[in-house]
Amino acid sequence: MLDALFRFFFELSPVVFSQGEFRFAATTGSYVAAAAVAVAAGLTILAYRKGHGRPGQRITLAAIRMAILAIILICMFRPLLVVRAAVPQQNFLGVLLDDSRSMQIADVDGQPRSAFVKSEFGAADRGLLKALSERFTVRTFRFSSAATRTTQESDLTFGGSQSRLGAALSGVRQELAGLPVAGLVMVSDGADTADAALGDAILGLKAEGLPVFTVGVGRETLSKDIQVGRVVTPKTALKGTTLMVDVVLSQSGFDGQKVTLDVEDEGTLVSTQQVSLPDAGTPASVPVRFTVNEAGPRVLRFRVSPQEGELVTENNAREALIDVRDRKEKILYFEGEPRYEYKFIRRAIPDGDNLIVVGLNRTADNKYMRQGVDGPDELVAAFPKTREELFAYRSLIIGSLEAAALTGDQLKMIADFVDRRGGGLLMLGGPRAFAEGGWTGTAVADVLPIVLDRSRVLPKGQVMRLTIKPTRAGAATAVTQLGANEQASAEKWNSLPGVTAVNRIDAVKPGATVLLTGTDESRAERPMLIFQRYGRGKTFAFLPQDSWVWQMHHSIAVDDLTHENFWRQLLRWLVDGVPDQVEPALTTERVEPGEGATLTANVVDPSFVELNDASVMATVTAPDGTILDVPMSWDGEHAGQYVATIPTKAPGWYEAKIDATRAGKSVGSAVTHFRAAPGDAEYFDATMHAATLRRIAEDTGGRFYDASNTATLADDLRYTGRGVTTVEEHELWHMPIVLMLLVGLLCAEWGYRRVVGLA
Amino acid sequence: MMMGTGASGFDSSAAASAKADPGDPQATYDGRIAFTRIRYGAAGDLASGRFRREPTWAHDFPRAEYNFQKILSELTFIPAFTDQGNLRRLDDPELTMFPIAYMSEPGFWTMNEAEAAGLRNYLRKGGFIIFDDFRGYHFSNLEAQMRRVYPEGVFRKLDASHPIFHSFFEINELDPRSGYYADEGDTEWLGIFEDNDPRKRLIAIANNNHDLGELWEFSDTGYVPVDLSNEAYKFGVNYYMYALTH
Repeated sequence: MLDALFRFFFELSPVVFSQGEFRFAATTGSYVAAAAVAVAAGLTILAYRKGHGRPGQRITLAAIRMAILAIILICMFRPLLVVRAAVPQQNFLGVLLDDSRSMQIADVDGQPRSAFVKSEFGAADRGLLKALSERFTVRTFRFSSAATRTTQESDLTFGGSQSRLGAALSGVRQELAGLPVAGLVMVSDGADTADAALGDAILGLKAEGLPVFTVGVGRETLSKDIQVGRVVTPKTALKGTTLMVDVVLSQSGFDGQKVTLDVEDEGTLVSTQQVSLPDAGTPASVPVRFTVNEAGPRVLRFRVSPQEGELVTENNAREALIDVRDRKEKILYFEGEPRYEYKFIRRAIPDGDNLIVVGLNRTADNKYMRQGVDGPDELVAAFPKTREELFAYRSLIIGSLEAAALTGDQLKMIADFVDRRGGGLLMLGGPRAFAEGGWTGTAVADVLPIVLDRSRVLPKGQVMRLTIKPTRAGAATAVTQLGANEQASAEKWNSLPGVTAVNRIDAVKPGATVLLTGTDESRAERPMLIFQRYGRGKTFAFLPQDSWVWQMHHSIAVDDLTHENFWRQLLRWLVDGVPDQVEPALTTERVEPGEGATLTANVVDPSFVELNDASVMATVTAPDGTILDVPMSWDGEHAGQYVATIPTKAPGWYEAKIDATRAGKSVGSAVTHFRAAPGDAEYFDATMHAATLRRIAEDTGGRFYDASNTATLADDLRYTGRGVTTVEEHELWHMPIVLMLLVGLLCAEWGYRRVVGLA
Repeated sequence: MMMGTGASGFDSSAAASAKADPGDPQATYDGRIAFTRIRYGAAGDLASGRFRREPTWAHDFPRAEYNFQKILSELTFIPAFTDQGNLRRLDDPELTMFPIAYMSEPGFWTMNEAEAAGLRNYLRKGGFIIFDDFRGYHFSNLEAQMRRVYPEGVFRKLDASHPIFHSFFEINELDPRSGYYADEGDTEWLGIFEDNDPRKRLIAIANNNHDLGELWEFSDTGYVPVDLSNEAYKFGVNYYMYALTH
């Protein structure tokens, strides 16, 4: 619209003005005319110095007259716009057509975005392609993950699972290198799904001075849509773990509507809940709880049922891969005195569970009971005295035990266990725990999430009686979920019997999170379960000394599993994410079939000191059963980090078993999974991204067009100044705007005279 | 006053349970382990002298528990009361705050349905009970009462390999002639297992033809041989240690 208006006034496209050079082509007549205008100007001044009217009125009339004369004078000097225009058929033009799946979205008057591409570029004698072909030698490319030449409409399938705008532009630029290229035309919805930034591709185009003219297809907002925007899940989880995951929902056209949010584990429904959709344009996070009970690589699908009238239903679901590990995770529980808390925590973890709570219970001075050990040698000398021995456990619970029961080196080992090994540490309340147990000022106090204050200990024998409830932050974690849903969980917490505590904590560390609080008899609130990350690991402080009343109390039914569930969840969190000696990581859980997956592995010795001289091999089993050995090499930058790129062919699951050896001895091994499969990123944020396309155009010297307004595209492309060009001179004096100005000024003069009574 | 449930918080005045009989000492739970003696049968005020002789549930009370608690505290790190008795009925809601119970003379044990349900829930949730001071035909009553409480469980004879005999002291031999009532029959250590599965934890142990309480009660008087008292304490300590760890 604006373009048409501009052309109406100025006869030429804005592109011509932006690319052209302004000049005057004066002739002898121009100077004669200048002299005549000068005389006329002089006469005007003389005429208006005196006469009728007030001085102000005369000055206004003189100014109008001078403006008219100035315009005439400029016109007499023949203003020109000199522009280099492409010589017809002497230049090449690269046309990039988006062939990705998002082009199938029918948001343009009920028609898919691809309809525009087909109608305008489907055949050489049709639409825009015809107009361009009359002026250029057109090379057409289709692109999704990369650009490939296309010569016929049937090449376009609109089935690509990615839109890599940068890769496509760079690819075409390189393919047309050496040819006289007037510019590139990119027809797309602008939904870039590449991980890499566009910047590199744009820099390349700028360096070559190759302008990109972008055509945006689709609407900038979808009238009716629900999107599952983001789901953050852990990469690994122990079998049987209950996870609390935040699902980010956004919508347009469904304000306040209630929908069902389901979670499916490989097709089996594991969670379902009703959620109210947030306001349009405001993403909202919804906590979802589910349990992973099946081992192996599991694809979890978070899905909102499609609603009537939705334009894009593919973005109603998100998938996340979780490697569910079915293995035994050993937790060492060192208890300083025989008490019920020890018994009931161990009872909460049934035989056969993936967690093994190895008990070391000090029953008397220098007398220990060991439970759950693997053999007669395990913990035979009581608490571990070497890092290798302690670091073999994934987490550590310290019960009612005074700090003096451990040596300085053992205290430092515990701190290292968290900081360097990445283990989980949980300290339980009790008469010998925390400040009451002399832990203030020890290396362990540094890693705990609470501030220990020796001057605030409770008098011996004094107990606090408290009722426990989750904090807002705690309610968002799986560990506090005691019911089938949020409301049931809150009701359960309200009905739980009170507990006692003998450790007074007034302050938590900066960065620590209070998950449970207790209200004592004076109605004061005290932190009861506190968590923080420390170094590579995490620490918890649990202040109650008798959570076992949640099992034994008369108000608790015999078949009530509150106590068991709480401890199973807390202890699973304790071991969650604790690294092995060989710890694999993938930059992405999914790659496009045919692409390489980047696999990294951190390798450490039994003391968790990084190894840079290990031999690391990834044995990859492809979906068809073929096995490929891929050596991994130290990346040279990060201590203990090895990297390799795993090639893929067929779609499906790939298993990578990583073995690390050093000096002929095994350091450790690990298994990870990834899949080669087409992605669904195309359907997320699937609106037309005008800003991206506009940026590409403006940064490269091109122009952005909406698909509904491409009439001038072919002509505009002639003036990029690239390729084989000829110089065109456009006379400007006969632009309609000039005539309009003259007529307008004359009318203004006449009108003004009428108004002030000088006509 | 009953100990409150969650909504009202933790009522500290557990000593004054609604189920308390007049004059009964009751421990206020504060995190420590209390020797909890089960009171059964008709109500009566211990202090009033209404009983013509001490009731069967009160045999050896209170010296037995006082002596035992002192030994328990001296020998182990178990945080136990040392100056407090704790009498509870099986249907006392506050019994659940003390998950190890002791019953004397179960041969005379009678109970109503509420008490049976109380003990049933207590054991299923994780409680443990010691039956002591009975002999001969008394076991028939104990067995019959326990059948009401825990129908799926049967008393099984334990041998010295069971972990309960190694939880603190190493008791490697169970001498059938060592019991306090050995003259009335062989001493047996009988146990009921959770879900009647010997691989699972013991929920009850019964000293048939034995009387640990008597040996505890008179351990400091010279009335009973020191060796016998020592052995009795070993069993008692092991029972407590087992119950606190299994």
